[in-house]
Amino acid sequence: MKKITLECFLNEEPVSLEIDENARLLDVIRDVAGLTGTKEGCGVGECGACTVIVDGETVDSCIVLAASMQGKHITTVEGLSKNGELDPIQQAVLDHHALQCGFCTPGFLMSAKALLDKKPDPTRDEIKMAIAGNLCRCTGYQQLVEAFEDAAKEYQKR
Amino acid sequence: MPLLGELNKNYKVINRSVPRIDGVDKVSGRAHYAADLKFVDMVYGGCLRSGHSHAKVTKIDTSKAKAMPGVLAVVTAADMPKPKSCAGPAAYMYLTDEVKYAGDVVALVCAETKLIVEEALRAIEVEYEDLPGVYTIREAMEPGAPVVHENYPGNKFKDSYFPIRKGDVEKGFEEADLIIEREYETQYIEHSYIEPEAVVCIQNPTDGVMTVHASAQNPFFTRRYIADVLGVGMNEVRVFQENVGGTFGGKEEGLGMLAARCAYLCKLVGRPVKMTFSREESFLESAKRHPFLLHYKVGVKKDGHIVAWEGSQIDNCGAYNNQTQFMNSRASIHSCGAYTIPNVKTDTFGVFTNNIHGGAMRGYSSPQLIWGQEQLIEEIAEELGMDPLEFRRINCLKEDTTNATGQVMHHVILPEIMEYTAKKTDYQRKHEEYKHQTNKHKRKGIGMSIAHRGCGLGAESPDASGAMAIANEDGTVLINTGLAENGQGLKTAFSQIAAEAIGIPYELIRFYGTDTQAIADSGMTVASRGTVMGSQSTRKVGYRLNEIMRGNALALGFFKDQEDVHDVSQIVLEDGFFHTTSKPDVKVPFKDVCNASLWTGRQMAAYEWFMPPACDQDHHTGQGTAFPTFAYGCCVAEVEVDMDTGYVDVVKVTASHDVGTAINPALVLGQIYGGIVMGQGYAVTEEVEVSKGKVRNQNFENYIIPTAADMPEMDVNIFECDDPAGTFGAKSIGEPATEAVGAAIINAIYNATGRRIRENPANLERVLLGKKLR
Amino acid sequence: MQRLSYLKPQTLEEALGYLNEYGEKVKPYAGGTDLMVQLREHTSKLKDVEYLMDVQYLPELRGIEVKDDCISIGCMTSHTEVNESPVLREHVPFLSIASSTVGSTQVRNKGTVGGNICNASPAADTLSPFVALNARLTVVSVDGTREVLVKEAMEKAGKLKFAPNEMATRITIDRLDGWHTAFIKLGRRKALAISRMNCAVALKLEDGVIADARIAPGCVFATPDRVEKAEELVKGQKPSAELFEKAGLAVSEEMIARTGIRWSTEYKKPVIEALIQRALCRAAGLPED
Repeated sequence: MKKITLECFLNEEPVSLEIDENARLLDVIRDVAGLTGTKEGCGVGECGACTVIVDGETVDSCIVLAASMQGKHITTVEGLSKNGELDPIQQAVLDHHALQCGFCTPGFLMSAKALLDKKPDPTRDEIKMAIAGNLCRCTGYQQLVEAFEDAAKEYQKR
Repeated sequence: MPLLGELNKNYKVINRSVPRIDGVDKVSGRAHYAADLKFVDMVYGGCLRSGHSHAKVTKIDTSKAKAMPGVLAVVTAADMPKPKSCAGPAAYMYLTDEVKYAGDVVALVCAETKLIVEEALRAIEVEYEDLPGVYTIREAMEPGAPVVHENYPGNKFKDSYFPIRKGDVEKGFEEADLIIEREYETQYIEHSYIEPEAVVCIQNPTDGVMTVHASAQNPFFTRRYIADVLGVGMNEVRVFQENVGGTFGGKEEGLGMLAARCAYLCKLVGRPVKMTFSREESFLESAKRHPFLLHYKVGVKKDGHIVAWEGSQIDNCGAYNNQTQFMNSRASIHSCGAYTIPNVKTDTFGVFTNNIHGGAMRGYSSPQLIWGQEQLIEEIAEELGMDPLEFRRINCLKEDTTNATGQVMHHVILPEIMEYTAKKTDYQRKHEEYKHQTNKHKRKGIGMSIAHRGCGLGAESPDASGAMAIANEDGTVLINTGLAENGQGLKTAFSQIAAEAIGIPYELIRFYGTDTQAIADSGMTVASRGTVMGSQSTRKVGYRLNEIMRGNALALGFFKDQEDVHDVSQIVLEDGFFHTTSKPDVKVPFKDVCNASLWTGRQMAAYEWFMPPACDQDHHTGQGTAFPTFAYGCCVAEVEVDMDTGYVDVVKVTASHDVGTAINPALVLGQIYGGIVMGQGYAVTEEVEVSKGKVRNQNFENYIIPTAADMPEMDVNIFECDDPAGTFGAKSIGEPATEAVGAAIINAIYNATGRRIRENPANLERVLLGKKLR
Repeated sequence: MQRLSYLKPQTLEEALGYLNEYGEKVKPYAGGTDLMVQLREHTSKLKDVEYLMDVQYLPELRGIEVKDDCISIGCMTSHTEVNESPVLREHVPFLSIASSTVGSTQVRNKGTVGGNICNASPAADTLSPFVALNARLTVVSVDGTREVLVKEAMEKAGKLKFAPNEMATRITIDRLDGWHTAFIKLGRRKALAISRMNCAVALKLEDGVIADARIAPGCVFATPDRVEKAEELVKGQKPSAELFEKAGLAVSEEMIARTGIRWSTEYKKPVIEALIQRALCRAAGLPED
């Protein structure tokens, strides 16, 4: 298949990637850019394991055509920690034991990040709705919600 | 009535919520799962599934697929030396031309890219001759029904038959003032782990060893399939367990089948091969929670004592056997619920159908049984005009009573847990009040369920395990065991247990994923046995290393200036330091002794095996000791039902569990929260819809699991006790966490609506109409 | 997914040229949230598609414009943008609410109102409010521009009455200033749910009397529509639970008249009646329980 060049920003780094015209953003992130923290759970935009942030908003990268991402700023889980330090959201998930198998975790982190960047003082219901597009089968969500409430306190200080 | 912390257990490392050992890897995105791996020259494999429920392949043409550029191999049953798997009676087929269910695989493809695999699979032309099939339990048992396996006439899976005969049930019915008979039916449930199955195989060209990186729940179990399909010794197969993205019982046989096919292709094409399931394939081939048809007849006295309990518990095995016999053993042992009843007669068995197979799924029959039994208990109480809590009080298991197998029960804190939960939720008052609601549109309901669960494998199969501990010269320690991390936190709990036993801080321990060439098979990580029994060998090896290192400290002269010290019993290792019993303030760091041990050639590693006392049941009556101990739980659910639409809002769930000792309370909480929400899905929204063997919902857009917006308010109460059976007194929690939730919810719905739903789940249509549409 | 070529028109003219040249072989790609799933599932209607045409760069498909008597919404407007738009919240709150119930945050960020309509699923959450708002699609091609009512744009589930060289650019809706609206969706869970049924209603109240009404049930007809019989029934009346119960009955009668008695009617009939009554009560400010 014909390759095209995708020029965009991946975790704030400008990149130029040779991609298939029909490639999904998820495959480009995982297979071309080699960032495997973003997971594929369902392939139909239901489970949210492939959530990444594009220009400040979360998307399910399994249902995004990579070719349409020219010039966009894409953030994956690998872009959360800065200078080796965990983002407060990551730290809160650790502190609250808000993960088990960990497969859905990157997606949840991205949804929480997009929420707290926009709204650092969300209500509990707003948190629940913001992460309702991320399915988790292990945790029952309780410790995740608590973790994001805790992380919000750190975001409010910024 | 000791809640967590009230018993003052005085442990140093366990009983604390230490951070997960794999936590940073998992929040940073660097934790590898099998699908994340990539190797030089790696190619891809895929499966062609029949889509027919019962059929013969009359013609299969692979020529177009084989001719496609980039296709490396196309394999059909005729090409495969050993298409039948090693899975015991009614074994699965790696590849087949006699299709017994829609997920059966009729061809494999290996190609350079995922896209070419997909295109080649679509290019294979297959012709089928459809055969008559059977799909439901009732159909399968009808005289003259089509037979799924020739060696199982009448479709009855006789190897999975387990009777219970306790007392004299006929005499019991004669004594009874009231006899009640009810039938309940449960559905197929998909595990819905978020990581689909994934395997990567690489064969070493020199020694031929097949190395397999897999999302395997049980790496040793997976290895069996690979050795089988390749026809090689198990010592020529190496399975690495990568991080597993959830399993709940689901990455056992199905994963073994995938790994075997992948290994076969890998050997065939001589290059590394990756195979992953799409979500749809996972729905089609992974085992489901067995549907059960439960029929009970119960005799009860006016004073509320149950005097006779008769039942049949029949499960739908699907087309192939997937642990049905082991599951039915457990189902028979728990066939009269958490109650002590003098006369019990139950029969449990499975039937084959042309459906997706049932298999292990969190609970291993208990969510189905409890869902029926705890409704039945409330139905009986209602007939007697008795408060359901009072009725449970009279009949529930208590200290020194006997269960269905006649085992005398000890350390039974069920009555206390039940009373505590009832009081905390104001259960009795609300239950009575809600019965009299007149609101037209929205009604509230509260429901209870109680449960007991045999811990570990018990009489099902051996509950033995082995573990290894290695101290390094810098004072760090590696542990290893055949039990496997499934996401539940096993590595963390086992590291805590090892640290506790060795007498060093948790931070000094590392436990990496299971590698079948590095440790002995310790049985499967199933049955909530990991911590309660599987870690006994880890505890034991920790104690052994502690003893060895104390001996080294003495022999190496670390305490030579203390003249009275001449025996290892005078030396203590705790918190990472050695000291003597007489001078506890003079401390020698663990690492100093480790370093000296290495350079003097002393032993600084150990391996231990643990085998619990045998459990023994009579095969004809089921009577005897079934489990070393039992865990108890009580669940109360509160719902609001939309009487106009049938929508059930699960508002609050209060769950109280006897965990013996909470090795890591935060992990225990996580298990219970997750179990509650999984139980909510089981009771309200989840059902793998199977129509003439075909799975209609194959992805998460129409297989509905709860989201964060749906989770109820959760109140979790962790109880501890002093039961010595499990590791440091721990009991099972993974499965208890979910098994009783559905029953509490369904009872709460009845409390709200006054309509019993005897067919799970209580979805919109069933709640409004009392039946399934279609 | 099939092999596809990617087209990236920078102007509407260029896009219409592609449509004219490739016809059925080209599919406009807006948010992709439905299209990408259908491509993965090899949906038969897409089997001839060879080109995906990315319409994100076309300004004609962007923006929300409030005019004197109507509001014009670009087809590329995402559900999130609809939900967060202050003017839409003010003028057509039930459309904002409906947008907030689509899929998940991720899907609402990418999914567009134009795509939601043009995918032609009768279960699309925004269809009912759009139909209640007499929404018109602006449909363009090299041959010119036409307007078509959303409720008349669907031939059947999954298929629009568009010529192969046509595409939609904007949606125009009535301004219902001062009206009272409500949207209710019944799904199987609180988020990430497909509508089992839904309804959008709007009431114009004058001196305590219903001067005008729009009643649009969702997932009950083969193609979306308002129910004029129900609207006529409430016009000129004072709002009451009893009146709205009758409106619900009128809707269910219309459903049966159009689709016949089906296996699902036993459930859908009482439930759509209840949803209509509840939505009307909510719009009129009456208690729902």
